[in-house]
Amino acid sequence: MDNLFYAMAFILFLTGFWIMLSHSNLIKKIIGMNVMESAIFLFLVAIGYVKEGSAPIITDASSGITHVNPLPSALILTGIVVSVSVTAFALGLVVKLYQHYGTMDVDEITRMRSEEL
Amino acid sequence: MIIAHIMPLTILLPLVGAYLILLFGSKARNLARNIALIASVATFVMACMITYLVSRDGKLVYYLGGWAPPLGIELVADGITAFLMMTFAGVGLTVLIFAYDILAGEIKEKVITRYYALYLVLLASLLGIVLSNDFFNMYVFLEISSIAAAALVAVNGDKLAMEASIKYLIMSTLGSGTVLMGIAGLYMVTGYLNLGFIAARLPDAFATYPLTVLMTLAMLVVGIAVKAALFPLHVWLPDAHGSAPTSSSAILSGLVVKVYIAVLLKLLYRVFPLDFVRTLPLQGSLLVMATLGIFIGSIMAIRQKDIKKMLAYSTVAQIGYVFLGIGLFSEKAMTGAILHVFNHAVMKSMLFLSAGLLIKYSGRRTITDLAGLGRTYPLPMIAFSVGALSMVGVPPLSGFISKWYLGLGALEADQMPFLLVLLISSLLNGFYYMPIVIAGFFRKETVEIQKQNVPFGAQVSLIILIAATFFFGLFSNVAVDYITPTVRGLFGLFGGGI
Repeated sequence: MDNLFYAMAFILFLTGFWIMLSHSNLIKKIIGMNVMESAIFLFLVAIGYVKEGSAPIITDASSGITHVNPLPSALILTGIVVSVSVTAFALGLVVKLYQHYGTMDVDEITRMRSEEL
Repeated sequence: MIIAHIMPLTILLPLVGAYLILLFGSKARNLARNIALIASVATFVMACMITYLVSRDGKLVYYLGGWAPPLGIELVADGITAFLMMTFAGVGLTVLIFAYDILAGEIKEKVITRYYALYLVLLASLLGIVLSNDFFNMYVFLEISSIAAAALVAVNGDKLAMEASIKYLIMSTLGSGTVLMGIAGLYMVTGYLNLGFIAARLPDAFATYPLTVLMTLAMLVVGIAVKAALFPLHVWLPDAHGSAPTSSSAILSGLVVKVYIAVLLKLLYRVFPLDFVRTLPLQGSLLVMATLGIFIGSIMAIRQKDIKKMLAYSTVAQIGYVFLGIGLFSEKAMTGAILHVFNHAVMKSMLFLSAGLLIKYSGRRTITDLAGLGRTYPLPMIAFSVGALSMVGVPPLSGFISKWYLGLGALEADQMPFLLVLLISSLLNGFYYMPIVIAGFFRKETVEIQKQNVPFGAQVSLIILIAATFFFGLFSNVAVDYITPTVRGLFGLFGGGI
């Protein structure tokens, strides 16, 4: 049971990976991207978790209370910011592509492009 | 003061430049390009100083905020990273000089200031990746570079470029996601993010969690290979580099794909001891992929009609050379790979810039329509020819030197077949580059061309690049002597961490 979070994180990671590669709808690809990144964040949080540890606010260092590792959480904050900006940029591109082609399907866009040439 | 803080300042300078451009330059285009130029000249000068300091002291280390690792982030410059940093700062500056006058004709007026800002952000992220010795810090710079690079492709807002850009963005997020998962795995088993500390703990960690360590290494290598466009993972590259504006293509093909190789190098020589890597099946797969990349990239390049697409496929092949050099795991081959990162950056940016000029003046992108342009536009065509000859590996140009070292490396590693790969692929390079050069000078024009003046900035940058190609071909010992101590250290001191 201890490894449940790690296993779940990997299942989610692979799910996101698969969605990104196999779906041709761009919005689904971006959702897949977010699933994959959330999986990584889950993995990092799980690494930092200490069983029955409390939030790492240390007022008295000698109290002997166990705390969870705060570093992975701090990393994830940065990671979330990065993932939000990538998502925003990708969605912006999708809006523009939709204006040009009238579709969000990559296969459709490729077909339309090859007909144009 | 400046000397003590030179490494973070080098990364910070382009970022400050980008900020100033967005703050003041949104109305004044002229101001924007001047700020960009000044910032990148200053960055280049500081890169030169770091290079000098490294050659004097051997290695520079800086703790951000004064916090020593493992608490703080560490920046490290040694022979290899300083050399790569110099490449990025130098080629980045040269491309910017080229863009000084040309850009206005190629990019929509309202995005031009943002283009300069993005360019500087990209430059800063490249330098950050090279200098950082902290894995998470490196990941953040990696993501900055993927967003900035995808934006530089899409900047003009035309459909082809935007489609290429989203493909590029999705593939590179896939790559950096995989890299981050690998980093998380390394953190899990060692408890550190600093490369040196990870390396020190790795033998113990491997003894306890062998599978986790192996999986981590696999994820890191695959993630990097996606971003660096190693052969079967290169599908995004030709579209992205082929449809971007000229100066973007030059920096993307010349620099951005290389920076991930810098990450791979650091991974292999600062974290995973070479003796350990030798015991894994990594070498075989790297060499097979590199060889396939060299051949298939070249064959695809021969089949292209569009000159920029052809150059983009040629990048796939050339990345294969770099991975070949890394994969041979011998001192000479590693030297060759690092030299090729530099030489290819110079050659490929020169080829893209001169091809961009030829496309601009003839109005055509197809290879056959570029015939005869050498008489009307001698300088771009000469630059293209020098780049092409250097790609083929004609002495005394710099492309010959890196292939020579790769060849020596193949002999040193007792891998004779790869000598044959190098020879055949040089022949293939000749197949697609030489017809353009010959037609450019000796064939009649197929389209009506009106003579226009090549802007001063473009002339200067092409001349700098031509000179660099000759200089590093004739006096290659300058570069070789610079990186040799570090490369030797890497092959002498396994697992010590640098």
